[in-house]
Amino acid sequence: MALEQALEKWTGKITEVTIGATREEGGTRSAKVVAGGESTLPFLTFEGEVPHQPVIAGEILDRYPEEWPSPLREAFGEDLKDPAAWARRWVEGYGAQLLCLRLASTAPDAGDASPEQAAATVRRVLEAVGAPLIILGSEDVEKDNAIFPKVAEAAAGERCFLGVVTKDNYKSIAAAAMLHGHGLIAQAPVDVNIQKQTNILLLEFGVKKDSILMDPTTGGLGYGLEYTYSVMERLRLGALQGEAQVAVPLILFPGAEAWRSKEAKESTQDSPRWGEQETRGVLWEILTGTNSLQAGGDILVCRHPEAAAALRRHVAELLV
Amino acid sequence: MLLVGERINGLFKDVAQAIQDHDPEPIQKLALEQTAAGAAYLDINTGPAVDEPEKVMPWLVKTVEEVVDTPLCIDSAKIPGLRAGLEAVSRSRPMINSTTAEPAHLEAYLPLAKAHGALLIGLAMNRRGVPKDAADRAGLAMEIVVAADAAGFPIEDLFIDPLVLPVNVGQEHGPEVLETLRQVKCLADPAPHTIVGLSNVSQKCPHRSLLNRTFLAMAMAAGLDAAIVDVEDRELVHTAAASRVLLNQVIYSDAFLENR
Amino acid sequence: MALSGLEIYKLTPKKNCRECGVATCMAFAMALANGKASADACPYLSPEAKAALGAAAEPPIRLVTIGKDQGKVEVGDEHVLFRHEKTFYHPTAIGITVADTRSSEEIRERVGRINELWFDRVGLCLSVNLVAVTDRGGDFAQAVRIAAEASSFPLVLVTRDPAKAAAALAAAGDRRPLLHGATAATLDAFLELAKEKGCPLTVGGALEELPELTERAAAGGFKDLVLAPAVGSTGEMLRTLTQIRRQALKKKFRPLGYPVLTEVTGDDPQDLAARASVAVAKYASVLLLDTVDPAVLLPLLTNRQDLYTDPQKPIQVEAKLWEVGSPDQDSPVYVTTNFSLTYFSVLTEIEASRIPSYLVTVDTDGTSVLTAWAAGKFGAEEIAQILEKTGAAEKVRHHKVIIPGYVAVLSGKLNQLSGWEVLVGPREATGIPNFARSRWRGEEVEAGAGSVSA
Repeated sequence: MALEQALEKWTGKITEVTIGATREEGGTRSAKVVAGGESTLPFLTFEGEVPHQPVIAGEILDRYPEEWPSPLREAFGEDLKDPAAWARRWVEGYGAQLLCLRLASTAPDAGDASPEQAAATVRRVLEAVGAPLIILGSEDVEKDNAIFPKVAEAAAGERCFLGVVTKDNYKSIAAAAMLHGHGLIAQAPVDVNIQKQTNILLLEFGVKKDSILMDPTTGGLGYGLEYTYSVMERLRLGALQGEAQVAVPLILFPGAEAWRSKEAKESTQDSPRWGEQETRGVLWEILTGTNSLQAGGDILVCRHPEAAAALRRHVAELLV
Repeated sequence: MLLVGERINGLFKDVAQAIQDHDPEPIQKLALEQTAAGAAYLDINTGPAVDEPEKVMPWLVKTVEEVVDTPLCIDSAKIPGLRAGLEAVSRSRPMINSTTAEPAHLEAYLPLAKAHGALLIGLAMNRRGVPKDAADRAGLAMEIVVAADAAGFPIEDLFIDPLVLPVNVGQEHGPEVLETLRQVKCLADPAPHTIVGLSNVSQKCPHRSLLNRTFLAMAMAAGLDAAIVDVEDRELVHTAAASRVLLNQVIYSDAFLENR
Repeated sequence: MALSGLEIYKLTPKKNCRECGVATCMAFAMALANGKASADACPYLSPEAKAALGAAAEPPIRLVTIGKDQGKVEVGDEHVLFRHEKTFYHPTAIGITVADTRSSEEIRERVGRINELWFDRVGLCLSVNLVAVTDRGGDFAQAVRIAAEASSFPLVLVTRDPAKAAAALAAAGDRRPLLHGATAATLDAFLELAKEKGCPLTVGGALEELPELTERAAAGGFKDLVLAPAVGSTGEMLRTLTQIRRQALKKKFRPLGYPVLTEVTGDDPQDLAARASVAVAKYASVLLLDTVDPAVLLPLLTNRQDLYTDPQKPIQVEAKLWEVGSPDQDSPVYVTTNFSLTYFSVLTEIEASRIPSYLVTVDTDGTSVLTAWAAGKFGAEEIAQILEKTGAAEKVRHHKVIIPGYVAVLSGKLNQLSGWEVLVGPREATGIPNFARSRWRGEEVEAGAGSVSA
C-alpha cells in the first residue's frame, strides 16, 4: 500500500553563514565552516534541503578553568593552562573544525585582562590553529565594548564571529565587527520577540544577514530546556514560514549549560544512585545538544571532547 | 497577509491614459511604488475602456516585469485577455482574477490556471449574481471547491472571494462576508485561501481609508488571507501588520510595523 | 477531529434527494462540517461513510493502556506536532529490556535494578515505566513469570512467536502486558491472543505495510494497537515517526492513528542515549532500552520531563529555605520566587559565587520575579512571612536579606515588617557572583569592623 507522504510547503530558508576566511579571502584559516541553509525542519530531508551538517565546535577559555568539574579538566590536562595548546588539542586531538574562545579573564571581577591582552590571546589562538574562531567576551557590557574593537582589529579579515550583542548593547561591537570583516552573535533572553527585535536592530544598523548567528539563550537539560526548546522551535518554524528576520542559524552552548548543572558536577561518591559522574556529565552535555539539534540548532559549542565526538556521530546518523 | 496592489487598472485615469499613450513610465512608477509599499502581488487590469484586452495585456505585463520581480495578478473579465496576460508572464507564479462558481466558467478557468501553474481567485457568485447571505455564498464557494477537487486543482491554490459590497448601498452584506470567511475555512482540509477586493467596501463614501482598514482588521480576524488594496495607504498596511501580530500569525517584535 | 465539507461531501450519496431537509448533498455536507446538522438526517449514508464520520469524533491518535490499576501506563492521545501549540499529553513510556537467556538469578537481579531506576527531581519522582522481557531463545514464559513476580511495573512481552507469547500470557496475562509483537505473518494468531487476554498489541513492519495491518485488526474489532515501524538509522527513525504523527494529525489517516513503539539498543551508552533522546522528543510513545545504567537513565528521564512539561504551566519548586553548599550563621540569605527556572538560575549563580548561602523561595505559583511582584505574589508581606515561617532568623546572626534588584522598591516595607536589613541584589541572576564577591564580602568586612569597635 503506497502511503502518500504528509509534506509541508515551507516558504523560508535559513541564511547560509560562513565562519572563517582562507588566504584567498583575506584571512589565514586553513578551512572555513558553513552553517545554515536549511529549507526544512531539522533532518527532515524528505521535504527540503539540509545542505550543511550542524557544526560541533569546541570551547576554550583564556584562563585555567579551575571551577570546571574534574571530568572536564581531565579531558585536557595541562593544555588548559594555555589557550593555544588547548586550541591545538581540540583541533589535532579531537577533530574540532570550529573553536569558540571565551575571553573569561576580561571580566572586571575575574582578572580584568586588558583589551590589548585579549587581542594578544586571540592572535595566539589564531596562530596556533587553522580552524575558524568564534570569540566571546565576558558579557560585562562595558568591558565587552572596550575589548572588541581591539580584538576585532587583531583578527581582521579572519571572519570570526563576535559575541554576544544584545538589543541594548550592540553598536560598538557591531561597528568593530563590520569594520574588520567579522560576524556577530545576537543574544536574547529566552524570548522569541526580543530575539527577533535584536536581529532587526542589527539588520537596520547595517549588519549583513549572513553575518548574524542567534543565541536564544539555551537552558541546560533539566534547567530551562523546557522553555528554550520551544523558543528555538518557534524561531525555526517562523523562519521556515517566511519570517526573514529570524531565518539565521542558531548557535547554542550545551557545554557551558550542561556542566553548570548539579547532575554533571556531583561526584560518584556523593550521589551513588546517579551512576558514574563521567558518564552522567558527558551525557548531560550530549542530551542538551541532541535536543538543541531537534529544535533547530546549527552550531553547538561543546566542552567535553567525548560529547563533541558523540554529537558528531549523532549528526551523521541523523542525516543517513 | 498577502496584499495585492490594486492600482495598475485601467479604471484609474492615469493608467487608462498611459495605456492609450503606450507610455510605460506611469505604469512602471506604480509598479515600483506599490512594491516598495509592501505589495506581494500586483493586479494588472486593462480597464473597461479597452475592447480587446488581449492586445494590451502583454504590453502591460512586460512593462511591469521590466522593473519589478513582484508576482502579478492577471485581472480580466475575458478569457482571451487572461490567456494573453498569463502567456506574457515570465518572472513568477501568476494569480488569475477571477472565475465565478458558474459551471461554464469553472470549466474554462480551472484548466487555464492548471496549465499556467497559477493561483486562482474564485468569486462566490454565479449568473444569478451576488448572494445575499453567508450560507449561499459559502454554498457557491463549495461548488468551486468541489469543481477544483474534481479537476485536480490544488485547493490551497484557490482564493475564495466572498465579494465585498459598498457599505453605503449594501450594509447588510458586511457581516455576511465575515461569516462566509469563517465558513470557507471548513470547506476543505487544507482549506482554500480567502481574498477580498477591499476598496469596494468604501466606494463613494467619505473616510475611505478608515472604512477600508477597519474592515480589513475584522476580515483578518475572520480568516482573510489576502486582499486587493491600495497599498500606498500607509495606515492600511500598518493595520495589516498589527493584525498579523495580534492574530499570532508572525512573531511579535517591537519593530512589527516593518514586518510584512 | 472534524472532517471538512469536501471530505463529507465525498461520503454523501450525491443524489440531492432533499430527504435530509437540505437542498443539495453539498449543502448538507457543509452543514455537517459547520456542526449545524446531524449525520442521522441522511438515510442513504453507507455504513462506511457513517463509520468514517463516527471515527472523526474519536481522538486522532488512540489512547492505549498498558498494565492495570495503579501501575498502568497510558500512551498515545497526542494532538500536536510541536509542544508550544498546546502540550504533549502522555510522556514516552520507557521500558527496560531483560533477555530470557539470563539465569533466573540474573533476571531477578536485573529486574531489581530496573525497579531502582527512579529519581527525585524538583519534587517529582522520575521513573522508568515498563519491564520488557525479550525472547532470545531461552525459557520465555519462565522469564516472564520471574519478571512479573519481581516487579510491579507493567510488562512488555517481546517475542515474534505467538506460541511463546501464549505460554507467557498464561503466566502474566492478567497484568495486561503489551504484546510485542505481531508482523504481517503472525498478525492473526497474535490478534486472537490479544483479544482473548485483553492485551494491547504491537504491529511491526515497514511503514508502508502498517496501515494494512492495523486495518485488518480494526476490521476484526481490535484497536488497542501500538505501531512498531521498522527503522534503521536515527535519521530514518526521526523521519518515520514524524511521518506517522503527521499522517495521524494532519491527514487524519486513521490506520496510523496509534501510539508508536521504538527500540534503542547498542553497546555505546552515548550513542544509545542520543538516539533515545530523539525518540523522546520526536514522537515515540513507548521506548524500549537495553540499559540499566542510572547515569544514562537520569539524563534521559530528565529529558522526558523537560519536553512533556506543559509549556503553559511552569514547574514550581517548594517554597522553603534551601541550603546551597554548607552555609553557616554568617552566610548570605537570598530571596527569590518558586518558579523553577528562576530558582535554578539563582541557584546556579549562587553556586558559581562559591560562597555557601541560604536561598529562600516564596510561593508565587511558579511565576518569575517581576510577574509575581506585579501580581502581588512577591511583596514585602510574602517575603516577611516566609522568612518567619522558615526560621531563617535562627540560621544566621546577621539578619540581612538579599532581594532581587527588580523589587528594590520593597526594601523599606520589608525592613519594617521583618526587622531584617534589606540588601538590594542584582537585577539578573548572572550578577550574583559579582555581587557576592564584592558587595557581600564588603558587608562582612564592615560587620567585622563593627564587632571590633563594639
